[in-house]
Amino acid sequence: MKKILEVKNLSKYFETTNVKANSDVNLTLSRGEIHAIIGENGAGKTTLMNMLYGLVSPDSGTIIINDNEVQITHPNDAIKLGIGMVHQHFKLVPSYSVAENISLGMEPVKNKFFIDKNLEIQNIKNLSESMGLEIQPESLIKNLSVGMQQRVEILKVLYRNAEILIFDEPTAVLTPQEVKELLNVLKNLSEKGKTILFITHKLGEVMQLADTVTVMRLGKVVGTRSINNTNTKELASMMVGRDIEFSRKLNPNETGEEILDVKNIMVLNEVGVPAVKGVSFKVNKNQIVGIAGVSGNGQTELVEAIVGMKNIEFGELIFEGKNINKSNVGKRRDLGISHIPEDRIQTGLNMQANIEDNLILSQYSSDQFSRFGILLKSEMQKFSREVIQKFSVASASPGGGVSMLSGGNMQKVVLGRELFGNPKLIIANQPTRGLDVGSIEFVHETLLSYRDAGSGILLVSVELEEIINLSDIVVVMFDGLVSGIVNPDNVSIEEIGLLMAGEKINPENLIKQG
Amino acid sequence: MGNQNRKRLIRQFTIPLLAIICGLLLAAVLLLLADKSPSAAIQSIFRDAFSCSSFNNCNLFTTFSLATPLLLTGLSAVVAFRSGIFSIGQEGQMMLGAITAAYLGYWVSLPDNVHSIVIAIGAIIVGGIYGWFAGWLKIRLGINEIISTIILSEIAILLLLYLVNFPMRADQGATAYSPKIHDTAMLTVFAPGSKFGTGFVIAVSAVVLVYIYLWKSGKGYEQRMSGEAPRFAFFGGIKSEKAALRGMFISGGLAGLAGAIEVMGVHYRVVSLPIVFDGLLISYLSLLNPIILMFNSVLIAGLRNGFQLSFQYNLGINREIGSIFLIIVMLLIVKNNYFKSK
Repeated sequence: MKKILEVKNLSKYFETTNVKANSDVNLTLSRGEIHAIIGENGAGKTTLMNMLYGLVSPDSGTIIINDNEVQITHPNDAIKLGIGMVHQHFKLVPSYSVAENISLGMEPVKNKFFIDKNLEIQNIKNLSESMGLEIQPESLIKNLSVGMQQRVEILKVLYRNAEILIFDEPTAVLTPQEVKELLNVLKNLSEKGKTILFITHKLGEVMQLADTVTVMRLGKVVGTRSINNTNTKELASMMVGRDIEFSRKLNPNETGEEILDVKNIMVLNEVGVPAVKGVSFKVNKNQIVGIAGVSGNGQTELVEAIVGMKNIEFGELIFEGKNINKSNVGKRRDLGISHIPEDRIQTGLNMQANIEDNLILSQYSSDQFSRFGILLKSEMQKFSREVIQKFSVASASPGGGVSMLSGGNMQKVVLGRELFGNPKLIIANQPTRGLDVGSIEFVHETLLSYRDAGSGILLVSVELEEIINLSDIVVVMFDGLVSGIVNPDNVSIEEIGLLMAGEKINPENLIKQG
Repeated sequence: MGNQNRKRLIRQFTIPLLAIICGLLLAAVLLLLADKSPSAAIQSIFRDAFSCSSFNNCNLFTTFSLATPLLLTGLSAVVAFRSGIFSIGQEGQMMLGAITAAYLGYWVSLPDNVHSIVIAIGAIIVGGIYGWFAGWLKIRLGINEIISTIILSEIAILLLLYLVNFPMRADQGATAYSPKIHDTAMLTVFAPGSKFGTGFVIAVSAVVLVYIYLWKSGKGYEQRMSGEAPRFAFFGGIKSEKAALRGMFISGGLAGLAGAIEVMGVHYRVVSLPIVFDGLLISYLSLLNPIILMFNSVLIAGLRNGFQLSFQYNLGINREIGSIFLIIVMLLIVKNNYFKSK
């Protein structure tokens, strides 16, 4: 098959986050093929796509389209070169019709001024028929299902004569039925000669759909395989990597009594679709339970349900033997559940407030910090100084703002607050996201010391290495369900990778929690 | 870091000052173009707004009494904004407070002192409920508070016009107004010749109380956290909705109190009160800080007095032109806030 796009040694370094998002990435697309790019979060897939679409400009390397070297500095360049992108979050005008959305900015004109509505609709009809993407050009976007909206996005790209279509996790927002339809649509498009590049982390879809698959990890291409010469097992192990140094850091200890029992809970996401679809597991004292999984598989909703920020549709949350379904966030905190949230900027901290105000959040009304409803400034300062010292929060003072602190120091403020008063259960969601190596080490050691001191810890992370190094047992989530509970001492990393991709492993290696 | 705080505080005070100086310079240029002496103009402003020749002839006292409604409505806005609700309903809440005061002041008889205290409490409750209602509309029904407070203000204004024109009308004179309140309901005036009296003291006390509430109390902490970072407050287990409703009650109560003080301390009846929408603006100019608000209210009240009345009396510049100068100064302060936030 003829080469349509070739990427040579593409590199991109992000100064602000100090991340080498892509280093010397090579990729070749042949005309008419379906090429999947898979990898864990932070593997560099999205950066690569964004460079191809002109949203991010590469530091070095070349992009060759139809044997010509090209510069893509803006999405308009990409569109001119026949590259179209179907974003994960649609960019449509809800109150406009399908036809208006598709032709937006390039409407057919009559009498040099007026939009030719009839021709517009006819054009869209012709396009949708020729591509086998059935749609009603007159219907309004806001009345369409997510799947149909995505179809409009695809038509939008095709209307601009795209030859290469880039899909960023196209199935993430779809129902299973819509996924099936989409896969058919993509096959159909490739038969019509379009080249398709899609990002995913669902191995099942890759095996069903793709002709070729490229695996990325930590900004590098691990390998490219033809789908006929590979299998899910190999892809999973390429994704998670063999060469990561795993060093289990846990002290051997007796696991204490049960503290949290999650019983078959269901939780909806923001738009009312089930994100957690019946999840059960237990956490004991002196134990770290890791929740592994590619992000977006229900972890966020699970955490928010446990801490009380989201309602549970059905199922039960049992904390120390008592049902806490009805308790609000404050009550659960009073019971001894603390929460290190994944988003420290908006959720974990108040950027406008100073360190004192940030630190007393969960106990401002306690006797320690208030008398007759008036806050005790001196106690607040004392506590702040303690935290700053104990967690060595650099360049911080009790009355200083938190917004000036580095990410690592911000996280230390969050830790200082959440770990105050020896919580019985610590929910740590992505506790090391965006931190430098030193801070990561610090967070890990802190969590381990609290485990040894008797706290039960639920650690949610998309960093598999972190989960394996720190967890007594690992609960793997996929698509809102638990795909397996394992002891990391007894299973291979590849097996966890398979579970993360929604595949099955030998049932003997799974832990059954009564 | 304490040093940094001090620097910030100094900056917060110097910004409005610099803005005023710039505004005056700009005004001076305009005055020169109009062949008026800028130095005479500026002198006249300060004389008529901020000077004090004797206790009974003190322009500063007049400025204080003019600043009172600005201060209270400004404080009302501060509390609402600090609760995360952009309420611009101070005007309506103030009207209701004024109506309440006029009603209780004439139709109810009580002993001295008790009477004015009862009126103040009544006005706070009525204004407070009106504010709370706007908050309730937002929180329970999701109605945008800007829209609802505009409509609620409109309703309050129409209600006031109706009451003053019909049921509460004092006589059949050309202007409709309610009957004069009893002496027992009037606030003490300290300096004869001005309206400077208990009203201003109440307003300043309110500043101190709001400051303590917002920055020193647990409930105020809830308020600030919910207003500044709603997600953070929710995450920490703060009942933000309750805090916001409480904030709106306090906000409405302060505006209601402003209306009551205008009746009890200045007009002794409801006419149609001058619109003191400036309170909203000044609260913003003061970066939602009650202490800065206190100074700014006096300043703006004085400048308004100076630019409008003094210019007209002394220089023959009509008051509308004078208002333009005031607006220039305010724009400059807003502009400075913009730079500060950069």
